[in-house]
Amino acid sequence: MIHLENIEKLYRTDTIETVALHNISLHIDKGEFLSVMGPSGCGKSTLLNIIGLLDVPTRGQVKIDNQILGNMPDKKLARFRNQKIGFIFQSFHLINDLPVMDNVELPLLYRNSTARERRRLASEALEKVGLSNRIKHFPSQLSGGQKQRVAIARAIAGSPEIILADEPTGNLDSTMGNEIMNILLTLNSSEKSTIVMVTHDETMAKKTHRLVRLFDGSQVQ
Amino acid sequence: MITHIYKLIWNKKKQNFLLLLEIFISFLVLFVTFFNIIGFYNLYTTPRGFDYKNVWSVNYGLPSGLNSRDSIAGQVDILKKMILSMPQVENVCFSSNNIPYSNNEISNAVSYKGKDQSATLYLTDKEYSRVLNMQMLSGNWAPAHRKGYSGVVINKMLKEKLFGTQNPIGQVITMGSDKLIVNGVAENAKLTGDYRSLGSIVFKILDSLDRDENYMLIKVRPSADAAFEARLYKTMSNFSKNANIEIEHLEKKRITKNNFMIIPFSIIFLVVGFLIINVALGIFGVLWYNINRRKSEIGLRRAVGASGSEISRQVITEGLVLSTISLIAGTFFAIQFPLLNVDDIASEVYLKAIAFSVVFIYVLVVICSLYPARQAAYIYPSTALQED
Repeated sequence: MIHLENIEKLYRTDTIETVALHNISLHIDKGEFLSVMGPSGCGKSTLLNIIGLLDVPTRGQVKIDNQILGNMPDKKLARFRNQKIGFIFQSFHLINDLPVMDNVELPLLYRNSTARERRRLASEALEKVGLSNRIKHFPSQLSGGQKQRVAIARAIAGSPEIILADEPTGNLDSTMGNEIMNILLTLNSSEKSTIVMVTHDETMAKKTHRLVRLFDGSQVQ
Repeated sequence: MITHIYKLIWNKKKQNFLLLLEIFISFLVLFVTFFNIIGFYNLYTTPRGFDYKNVWSVNYGLPSGLNSRDSIAGQVDILKKMILSMPQVENVCFSSNNIPYSNNEISNAVSYKGKDQSATLYLTDKEYSRVLNMQMLSGNWAPAHRKGYSGVVINKMLKEKLFGTQNPIGQVITMGSDKLIVNGVAENAKLTGDYRSLGSIVFKILDSLDRDENYMLIKVRPSADAAFEARLYKTMSNFSKNANIEIEHLEKKRITKNNFMIIPFSIIFLVVGFLIINVALGIFGVLWYNINRRKSEIGLRRAVGASGSEISRQVITEGLVLSTISLIAGTFFAIQFPLLNVDDIASEVYLKAIAFSVVFIYVLVVICSLYPARQAAYIYPSTALQED
């Protein structure tokens, strides 16, 4: 499903060159739930961004569904992200000026779907995360856990095969965190979604199929 | 997408209020500006109705010691003949002091069968139309030939207002206590300036004894030069010693008269120009600030599947939707002028002014959005998503 080959990511300024990722090779199967752990600054988010096609590696190759994605033009890459990948962020990244329903519809806006179709898919996604009764609420009217559930609904509304979650429980207390983790586990088991989750929480990581550890940009486990 | 953007803007109406207000006020200023420009253009392109080229006006004093109408008329007619005998002169007519492009105006109410109409009065003789090359539509420039009546030529506009489709020739109209017989109808003429609207005109044909108007209009040949002007001046001076003689060219008078209208409006247009530059900078600044403030939102949109060009389009569309809200409000006010028929100006002028202002605002907003839109398209999603 996802294949990373000798990925290297360097950040250069005039005077300093920082290695964010070094020689990462990773294969993630379809339907696998993988967690990525490591100390702050070890390159977890960079790895997630590269898998999510939000960033390009300095060297190496990213393949998703056997497609090499390095040289894809911006428009095709955007379409690919839209169809295949859903993102969940630690800080939710909801648009505060839009109600829940419109936030969830956001990825569907970039598809050729009708307003009715968008509404249907968004409603289904909200139902899956248990927020059907909050569609007209604005993000400021929701708790942290509810916000993250909206973010999950947004990530799954377009039925992507891959979900990339960057510390989805990082801003939540343990109860809320467990709730979110359970939703992700359910999505993985029932929808067969491939999930890559960056986390600092060992307990959460243990619930996933496989754990990858990074240290100073290199894979150590 | 438009609904999505509209919702986004509407939900942020408090933040967008100043920009909405700025566009609204700009629209109203532009509407007034375009209204004046179109109005001026329409006035300027309305046929002038006469020819001012190679026409000179002469203001002369009557010789001292002439007391009776007969002696004045006799002397002035001699003067006219002297001028006409000059080879550079084509034609001469007498005129009241409201010669074309002068600042003098004589107006009075004209009545015909209970219909009243304000009209500008010109006192002149039958050569007036030849000197100014005016077109006659019917009748001729003849005196009344009836005791107690004066012969007049009216212009087309007055004819339509007083007589409609009826033939006015031979009809009697009144101006105060004067009884005037309409002997002719002339084409409309803009005698007071190129940027003045057409009005009703009465040309009262002076009797051969009415020679105390002190103005002549002289149609000269193109060969008339400064030497001729000096000779003309000398002839006039000899005629009326110790009187002020003033020779003016209608071509110069026209420029001076038009400048009275052009200069103030040029200053106003300059001020409006600066205002528009300020508005453009304002729109540009707000959009650019918005882009910087909304980096994480742009990053998110990129992450969920928007391409750079889609982000760019969204920024421009947001500007257009924002302006549409202001333009709807602005148009609501502007459309009241033609709907309520505030003055006699054709609705077409208002509608054109609204259309030009709307297009101008949209073009301005698109131009001001281009750079921020380009900046937004280049925002790197992975970096933007780290900003809150």
